[in-house]
Amino acid sequence: MAEVILKSVGKAYGSHPVVHDVSLTIADNEFVVLVGPSGCGKSTTLRMVAGLESISSGTIQIGNKVVNDLPPKDRDIAMVFQNYALYQHMTVYDNLAFGLRNRRVDEATIKKEVEHATNILGLAPLLSRKPFQLSGGQQQRVALGRCIVRHPQVFLFDEPLSNLDAKLRAQMRIELKALRERVATTSIYVTHDQVEAMTLGDRVVVMKDGYIQQVGTPLDIYNRPKNRFVASFMGSPAMNFINVDLIEEGGRTRAVAKDLSIAVPERQVASLSGHGNRSVILGIRPEHIHLGAPAEDLGTTFRGELTVTEQLGSELVVGTKVADTLIMASRIAPETELKLHEHAPFWVDPKAIHFFDSKTEAAIR
Amino acid sequence: MTVEPFTLPIARPGPTMFERFAPGAWRVFIGLVIVAVLMIFIAPVAILIVTSIRPASGIYYIWRGTEFTLQNYVEVLQQPQILHAMFNSFVMATLATVVSLGVTVGSGYMLSRFTGRIQKTWFATIYVFRTVPYISFVLPLYLVTTNLRIYDTYLGLLLPHIAVHVCFFSWLMKGFFDSINPSMEHAALIDGCTRWGAFRRVALPSAMPGIAALSILSWLWTWNEFLFALILTGQRTPMITSTMAQFVTETGTEWNLMSATAVLAMLPALLVTIFGQKYVIRGLRM
Repeated sequence: MAEVILKSVGKAYGSHPVVHDVSLTIADNEFVVLVGPSGCGKSTTLRMVAGLESISSGTIQIGNKVVNDLPPKDRDIAMVFQNYALYQHMTVYDNLAFGLRNRRVDEATIKKEVEHATNILGLAPLLSRKPFQLSGGQQQRVALGRCIVRHPQVFLFDEPLSNLDAKLRAQMRIELKALRERVATTSIYVTHDQVEAMTLGDRVVVMKDGYIQQVGTPLDIYNRPKNRFVASFMGSPAMNFINVDLIEEGGRTRAVAKDLSIAVPERQVASLSGHGNRSVILGIRPEHIHLGAPAEDLGTTFRGELTVTEQLGSELVVGTKVADTLIMASRIAPETELKLHEHAPFWVDPKAIHFFDSKTEAAIR
Repeated sequence: MTVEPFTLPIARPGPTMFERFAPGAWRVFIGLVIVAVLMIFIAPVAILIVTSIRPASGIYYIWRGTEFTLQNYVEVLQQPQILHAMFNSFVMATLATVVSLGVTVGSGYMLSRFTGRIQKTWFATIYVFRTVPYISFVLPLYLVTTNLRIYDTYLGLLLPHIAVHVCFFSWLMKGFFDSINPSMEHAALIDGCTRWGAFRRVALPSAMPGIAALSILSWLWTWNEFLFALILTGQRTPMITSTMAQFVTETGTEWNLMSATAVLAMLPALLVTIFGQKYVIRGLRM
């Protein structure tokens, strides 16, 4: 159990930088998720913490120790890999015991620790098997067990659920969450799956092209994205973006595009008028676009032709063409009768409208 | 609005045109092809074995005549030169395999896991040696071994064999290590191993089937090797392959004795192959 502090950490392969100036303080027992598309530097950052990659610049501190020059074995960490990385020639028991044996722990203590871990993870009947005799989910549990027995200061997870099928992934996600309650340890978790980031993290770090885009609690990131990338990456279906012009009309500021005119909520008028450019990007999450007409006139209605519908059983997702952009609206009652290519009325929840600069793509607040 | 459900036509395995035309004939045809191919491989061995049990007078008519004899084997086994050569070949194959394997495993692992100037140079070196036909450096090797005064000694033959093993089998070994996910070694590093420990305790045991297959291949390679044995050895350290060739004399070839020797030379190779077959197969599957 320890704090992990990254100070201006950078990584370059030759003259090709892949991680830039990452600074992050992870509190004791905190669960932090690094999320981003492939090649964003999240795994490289994790591997630098693990000691599997050298650190080109900056420092990494685990507990009170700067670990830049320590080999992985001296960092007191444990890691779960995407492909489980179990030792294929050893039984499950030996896999779990390997790390303790390396640290010259006596066999009685090892037995106790292995039993403790197998009880938590339900691995007891599998102890004498070899990894190739286990299913993907069981292998991943063994990999988790290998971390638990060691009682390390930090857990590192490198896309641990990516190789599982969708159903098992959802199940393991819940198990991981439950595991956190029983085995509280500082954890860094890397994933490209925004659902895992939202559900597992105390805090989420969104990365892109080797830069940290935003750090915050899952809700903070979801509701107050710092830029267009974060807004589009978190949430499914993704946020809708429309290029709009800001126009003064009858004493109100309106965001106007072809077929669309939306009243800008009062609380955003000030920040928008302070913003020099009159052409901005309007961002609305699909669940904030509703079908039909609002109870009171909000000035945020528009009409659009239905071009696509997706029936999910629990909800209906529809796509409509507005301002030459496909706009998705979700959480529509699944029983709703809709005809394709008909025009339908929509309205936008004014409490959930985002604006982004059209050049820098930073959120305008 | 209703949309017709679109279903892909599913391909079902049915009888081929040939099977419809002549059911059963297809199987017969395939069977005949297999027998024909097997004949091509079995014929030389069968002729060899039959020749080895014919008297000298009968070797040109091996399918006719009824005289069979084991005298050839008795005669061959009474020649100390042949027994000596068998022993030499066995020792040489075993030594070359054991020594070269140490280098091959290390070099294969390095080529698979590390990149850098040393690795690139090493890779280029063994690549070049692989592309050069090895007959072209047999003669220079003769000059080198005579100059170093190791001509016709174990060492003089062992060193070239090890060189060839390393060049040829490092590639195979690299392939075996490539098929082992390096994250297993990374896990070992985190679990408290040094880099060397991760290699020795995790990578090496995982590569064992491959290493076993490789040791059989290299053992057979040296056992069967002819050219080095012919040029680099003489009377003091004869090898079985070159000794066999000595039945070709000015007065004619003693086919019956040569065949008996060849059959005897096949036996150890056969034993090694049968014993190691499951490792070879597992190695090839990796």
